[in-house]
Parts: sequence; C-alpha cells; structure tokens
Amino acid sequence: MTSIPTWSIAGPSTGTVVSHYAGTAPPAYIPVQARRSFGLHVESNTPVTAQNTATPPPSPKPQPLTKTRMEWPEPVRKYVQRSFVPEYQIPGISRQEMETRLKQVITEAAESNSLGDIDWETLPLPQDMIQNERRKKILTTPSVSSWDVRAEVASQTFEPTSDERSKKRKSTDYPPMETADSPPWRKTNSRNHMEDRITFPAAEKRQRTDISSKSNAALESRRKRFEDPRSGYGSPQTSSRDESPLPNATQGPIVGRCQDLEKNYFRLTSAPNPDTVRPLTVLEKTLDLLKKKWRRENNYGYICDQFKSLRQDLTVQHIRTEFTVNVYEIHARIALEKGDLGEYNQCQTQLRVLYAQQLGGHPREFKAYRILYFIYTRNQTAINDALADLTPADKSDPAVKHALEVRSALALGNYHRFFQLYLDTPNMGAYLMDMFVDRERLSALTCICKAYKPDVKIRFITEELGFESDEQSARFILDHAPEDLLQEKDGSVRLLTSKAGQIFVLAKSEAHKIVDIKGQI
Amino acid sequence: MAAVFSDFRDAHMTGSGPTLAAAITPAAPPEDPGRLRSFYYSTPNSANAACDLRYALLQDKARGVKLPKQEGNTWVDIFCAFWKTAGEIVKLEESPSEGSWTKVFEAWKEVANLLIRGYSTGSLQAWTVPCLYAVGKYLRAFAINADAETSQDSLTFGDGFLDDLVSNGEKNAKLEDAARTINRMFTLCLSDRAPMDESRKWGIYNTTNLLFKTYFRLNQVGLSKNLLRAIDASSGDLPSLEGFPKSHIVTFKYYVGVISFLEENYTEAEEHLTEALAMCHKDAYKNRELILTYLVPCHLVTTRTLPSRQLLAPFPRLESLFRPLCQCIKQGDLVGFDTAMSAGADEFVKRRIYLPLEKGRELTLRNLFRKVFIAGGYEASKSGQPPIRRTRVPVAEFVAALRIGTRAKEKSRADFDEVECLLSSLIYKTLMRGYIARDRGIVVLSKADAFPGTGV
Repeated sequence: MTSIPTWSIAGPSTGTVVSHYAGTAPPAYIPVQARRSFGLHVESNTPVTAQNTATPPPSPKPQPLTKTRMEWPEPVRKYVQRSFVPEYQIPGISRQEMETRLKQVITEAAESNSLGDIDWETLPLPQDMIQNERRKKILTTPSVSSWDVRAEVASQTFEPTSDERSKKRKSTDYPPMETADSPPWRKTNSRNHMEDRITFPAAEKRQRTDISSKSNAALESRRKRFEDPRSGYGSPQTSSRDESPLPNATQGPIVGRCQDLEKNYFRLTSAPNPDTVRPLTVLEKTLDLLKKKWRRENNYGYICDQFKSLRQDLTVQHIRTEFTVNVYEIHARIALEKGDLGEYNQCQTQLRVLYAQQLGGHPREFKAYRILYFIYTRNQTAINDALADLTPADKSDPAVKHALEVRSALALGNYHRFFQLYLDTPNMGAYLMDMFVDRERLSALTCICKAYKPDVKIRFITEELGFESDEQSARFILDHAPEDLLQEKDGSVRLLTSKAGQIFVLAKSEAHKIVDIKGQI
Repeated sequence: MAAVFSDFRDAHMTGSGPTLAAAITPAAPPEDPGRLRSFYYSTPNSANAACDLRYALLQDKARGVKLPKQEGNTWVDIFCAFWKTAGEIVKLEESPSEGSWTKVFEAWKEVANLLIRGYSTGSLQAWTVPCLYAVGKYLRAFAINADAETSQDSLTFGDGFLDDLVSNGEKNAKLEDAARTINRMFTLCLSDRAPMDESRKWGIYNTTNLLFKTYFRLNQVGLSKNLLRAIDASSGDLPSLEGFPKSHIVTFKYYVGVISFLEENYTEAEEHLTEALAMCHKDAYKNRELILTYLVPCHLVTTRTLPSRQLLAPFPRLESLFRPLCQCIKQGDLVGFDTAMSAGADEFVKRRIYLPLEKGRELTLRNLFRKVFIAGGYEASKSGQPPIRRTRVPVAEFVAALRIGTRAKEKSRADFDEVECLLSSLIYKTLMRGYIARDRGIVVLSKADAFPGTGV
C-alpha cells in the first residue's frame, strides 16, 4: 500500500478513508497467486485488474501518432485504429512486428507525400501484409514439385483476410472461395449476384409455362447451363453438394520428411507436402524445444503459432497417441494462462475427442475446465451435456467436484460459497474463473444491496467477495458507483447498501451481457 | 401385383399426398408384411428395372397413370432408386450377414436426392410434398441404424484440410449426412414462392420437426436456432399456424418449448409447451408425457408451484420422477431434497431437467425459513390489536434450522455467513420480504406478506 489509491484523489471528503487504508489495511490480505497477464477482456472496463497485470497494457495509441505532432488525415487514423482492433490480430504476428510495419507504411506514405493518394480503406492491414509475405516466402522455397505449383496457385486465389479467418475458425466446412485481398469491412459478396439467388417463377416450375417472355427464355437457358449434364432419364446422378469440395482432400495419411524443429503455421489450402511435414520423432523434439522456449521467452504469439503447426503436422499424419493428447493439453494450458479462450476452446474440443479414445492424459483436469468454461460462456445446454459426460469416478475427482460446486453455487445464488471456491481453485481453473469473477461480484453486490440495511462494513464485502484487501474491494465498488456510497462510520468504512438503488443492478446486467470469444463455436 | 404401383396410381388419380407417400414408404405396413418384397421382386434384375418400372408406373394401360414427360421421368428415377433400396432391405431381411444398413442408407439417400431435385427443377407438384416427409423420416431412421452398425472404434480423420482432428468423431457420420439432406428439404419448403394453395411452404413445419429431432439426437441443439431464425425471417410469407395440421404444430411447439427451456427462457418455454399440451391428442400418451417432463420443471421455476397428484396420475413414470422432490420442497426438508436430487441426478441430467429442478432448492429453503418464522410465534399483543408475528428473527435461528439433519463435524455444515448469504439471496428473489441488519445479527421481516404467496 505505498501509493495513494487513485480513486480517492478526487475529493477531500475521502481523505480520511485513505488514511485509514494506509494505516490499518493489512489483516484481510489473502495472498492469491498473481495470474492474469493477458486480461484483454477485463482490461477495458475494469481498471482495477489492469493495475494487477504484470505487464502494463500497451498504450492505446500507436507510436507514429504520438511522436510526431502533426495532423494525420482521418482515413489514416482510422487505418491505424483498425490495425489495433483485437479481432484483426493474427496469431503468430506479434504486436511489435505489426507496429513496426505500420510505422513503415505510414512513414513511407508521408515521405513520398502520398498520404492523400492511398486508399486507406482498402489497403491491407500491416498484419495481413506480413502474413501474405510470409506465405509467399514459404511457397517459393525450393523443391519445386507439382504440389508447390498448386499451392502457388492457391496462394494467388486465396488470401484470407482476418474476417474470413474468424469465420473459418467457426466452421471448416467450406472450401476457400474469396479471391479479393480486400479488407474485411469492405468485403461485399461479389460472388453471389442477385440473380443467383432468384428462384424461378412458380408457374415455370410447375411446367405450365405459357408465357415465353424473353427473360423467361433467358432464365431457361441459364438453368440449362446449370443443370447437370449427366441428368436426364435413366441415369441417376449424385448431388454435387455431397461430394467433397476438394477431391484431393481425402487422401490417406502421409509421412513427413521435414527435419526442421520449428515451422510457421500455415493453413493448408491443398494436400500437405511430405517435405514440409515433420515426422513424429522430430515433433517430439519440437515439443521439448517449445516447452523450453516458453519457459525462457514467454512469447505467446510465437508459441501459439508453433503449436498450431505442430497440431497440423500431427493431424495430416493421422497421429493419435498419448503424445497428441500431450500436445493439446500443453497448448490448452498455455492458452488458458494467456487468456486466449478461442484457442483454448479449440484444444478443449479436440481433447474431448481424444479422451474418448482412452489415450491417457488428464481428462479430469480438463473436464473441470470445460465446466468452468461453459459457466463463463453461460452455455446452459453445454453444461447439461458436460454433466451428462461425467462418470461417478469423475465426480469424486477434486477438480471436477470443485467445478461442479462452482456451478451449483452460482445457480443457487450462493455467492458466499462461490467466492470460497474461487480462492481455492485446483490446477489452472483460476484463470477461467478470473474471466467471470467480476461479473459475479456485481451480481453478489446487487443481492447484498437489496438484502442488507442500512449498510455493511467494507470488510464484509472483502471477505464475502474474495477480494484481496479492503482497498481492492473499495476500488471495485467505486469503479461502478459514486463515491458517496462509501462512508466512514465508527472507525470503519461502510457500504451504504440502502442508497445503492439500481447502480449495481445496471452494472451487473451490463457485465452479463457480453461474452466475446474469438473462435467460439 | 405390387401395392406400391396401385398406391402410386390412386394417389395421382385423387391428388392424395399421403397415399403417394405410402407408395414410396420403405417399410412394409403390418397388414401387408410382404409389400416391399413383392415390389422388389416385381422386376427380375437391375438391367430391366428402369424399363419395367416405367411400364408399371406410367405406361401400363390398366395400372399406370399418364403424366407429363418430365414429371414421369422424375418419378421413374425415384422409383428406380427406391427399388434398389428395397433390394438392400430385402437382402438385410433374408440374409442379414450380407446386407448392411449403410447400404440401405446410401441407396435411400439417392431417393432423397432425386426427390429434392425433382422439386427444385419444378417437375414435381406441391401436393406430393408428403413424400418428403416419408423420405426424410426413413432417411433419419436408416442413418441411425447405419451409425449403430458401423464399428465405433475405427475413427477416421476428416475430409478436407482440417488442422485438427474430426471434432465429433464419426459415430454419427450418417446421421449428420442425413441432417444435411433434410436441411435441403427444409430449404426447399421454406423458399418456395408459389401461391399458397400450391406451395411447398405447407411442408415447412414437418421438415423442421424432423430436423429438430435429428439435431437433438446429434446433440447439436444449437443448430435448431438457425431454423427458427430462418422461419422467423420469412414469417410474413407463412400462413398462420392454425392452417397447418395439428400434428405438425404440436411437435413444433414442443421442440420450440424445449429449446427455450434449455436456454433457461422458462417463461417462453412454458408458453409453447402449454400450447403443445393443449393441442396434443388425448390418446398420444407418450407425447403428453414428454411435454409434461419439461412443463413441470418449467412451472416450478416460473410459478413456484408443484404438480398436483391428479395431473401426474396418468403418468406413473413422471410421478415417480418428480414426487420425491416435490415432497421435500413442500416440507422444507433440505437434506431430503439434496438426497433426492443426487439420487435422481443421472435421470434428470439425461432428460436435461437437472438445472431447473435444482432451483427447487430455493423453494425448499424458503419453506424451511418460513417454518422458522412461524415457530417464532407472536409479539406480545397490544390490547385490542390483532396479534403480530415476531418479525425480528435472529440469524442464529435460521442457522439452527439449516443444521437440522446434518452432522456437527461435517465440513459442509452451514456457517453464519453462508446462511446470511442464502437469506440475502431469497430476499433478492422476493421469496422473502425484509432485510438483514448485520450489525445486530437479526433479520427484520415484513409485517405483512413476509413470505409472498404462502399466506404468511
């Protein structure tokens, strides 16, 4: 408690409060392992947690704007803003790389006086530029086989934008289609012209055509073009829809020949090339290397990218062993630690399939995470499914038991129990609980404000809602409520519950509204 | 001669969709067990099948029916595929070791594709839409059989260039395939723009129901929402629900109710389920039981009332499912409630009613605390005034009530703070009226209506 809390600086009336904290604060301190370091979701609305983060959040404004004090044109500013939008970030491209590139783009434009000439709206974002370049580099590396040629073609016709990619995460059913390299916000569906969607007039459909207008004739001839040439009586045809969109895709497993330990992730657009796929023996070494690097460098962008390529190599070689489970578990844990729930969820989904095959690993640890994850996303249907998956043995596992109790405590509004459980979470479940603990604190405050009159000690809030100190709970309250809701009385700070009105009710419904996870299915 | 052909002819003469659907039903009705076999053996081999079927369906003066060329061709194609399916089914019946449901499914899928094609090219008329129902229904059934017979442990890797493994495994591969086909039937009905009296839109709820059923079985309830959105988007073009056959609507309402139920929208769920129950045929025992399985928990949450014995009397299974819980709720027996919950947990979870039933614990708690309040008796009454209950109740009394039936050493035993938390939760949900004065360690209850809706 070395610095004066920022919330109290505002008015002189709270001066006594501050001194109170500075002086006697200690006993309520419940040491909780500092975990969050990537709390993007909470960062924006709760400065409290931002204060706890190990690394300070990156400055919201990019350097080129802050350094040179000149007026940038509106489109340029928008372009810069877009570059920092979390949805457009690409795993594997660090913020630093992106910023450097962004700087370069803008500086070049400024130096050549072409700031006004560039169409900033359609200019690919710096991260997209970097990715495209990387791909081209990969594709133009030696060993010119027929595969490479095809891949080259694919790279020309398929340059996914981040918008598309986020869709891909949700569903991989569709073959890559879009051609243009235009940015997501500019994407118009140029492929589906209106005429594609128009169905034929009913009269014609029913073969009672007596109007032979020109447009009808045109439609008719168009329809003939689209009709399957094999159609016609006596030759039953299969529907093209059911065929695999990419005929080469169903080839059997391949065996890789690549000996490199590291490999950038690149989403396959054609059959995998054994020359760029690493066999199991290499992959095992890769995993060891990645584990070491993660401990040493803690560079999530790099690690996530490497794990994705590792997973891909396993998949194309149809390797499904305990090693596979191991890879997914480690990636899931790292993603959890970094708050990348999108990636975590992908691993979790895969792990569920893998565990079903009894390949080892830590199914109960992850079953517990799964329940906590669905509590966070408030997916009741999935929670029920998760419950149905549990065996009696699972239910007696401490981690699973904990997750189940968390669920039940929340369902029954037992915040007392919930926060007890929060402070005693096994494994890495706390990273997941961090995601929804503030939301539940607001719920509990709503409840407390309605039920307790006329006030309660701040100490009580600290203890009941799992805060680390009175100061932290006061900060949390003041993030949502005006200062006069806290008052000092008889030597202790109190929350005037009867004056709270709708304050926490509103904050609560706001907090419960949005769960935003990239790549969530 | 094969009844299939006479049904086909009759259907066309009378314009009866159901009769036509009966003609291409790939299962023999109980009264005519040899129906499929006789259809299959009506033509000796596959080389002649198309020719023979064409003759039987269209050209035979006595049995055939004259149709426009394209329409006729479509039906011949469909019946050819049907004949092949019949062959697979007959094989399965006669020598089970040689046949397989997978083959039946693949053959029947061909029928479905041809039928869909017949509609989308406009060669089939809207009155024949019941054929879609029959074909879709059996496509789903065959898919389930095929999936069951496929060995479970031979996991395959996905088609396409997936980075990861197959997400759902493929133990439901055929059913997922069937779902895609049925989805095309759904679109076929929804997107028809013909005038209402000759529109396939009349088939919308039947195909939707079939998809609901399939998605539920696949554990992909989320996909059902897409259907509802699509229907909602074109609701302006759809005739009102009353115009549709009740059988379609009851099922539809049931599923919409259950979907809301699963999302914890109990008010909405109750509305749909109540409609479904009201419209359900009185002899449709199983359907009414299904509806009530969800309606009872719904009612518990929305109105905080328990089902009467009279309501559940015809359904002994439901009676035994719900009664133990209901008794405990009524008596405020918290330990009993928890025991009953965990005893029935597996069954509740399987039926997806665990989560709402769990909320019954709050009612149990309310009833227990209400007993505490009543046991507290009355304040010393002032002369002439009606007696007033003691409204200031020490938290300790509630703690004591909660400890009834638990052992002193148990870790789970409630402490003061937890009981306060439970009290505040009840107050927040207006199951109790009053407030907690923490410094004084008492609960101050409202003089009137302290436990709303319970007469106290």
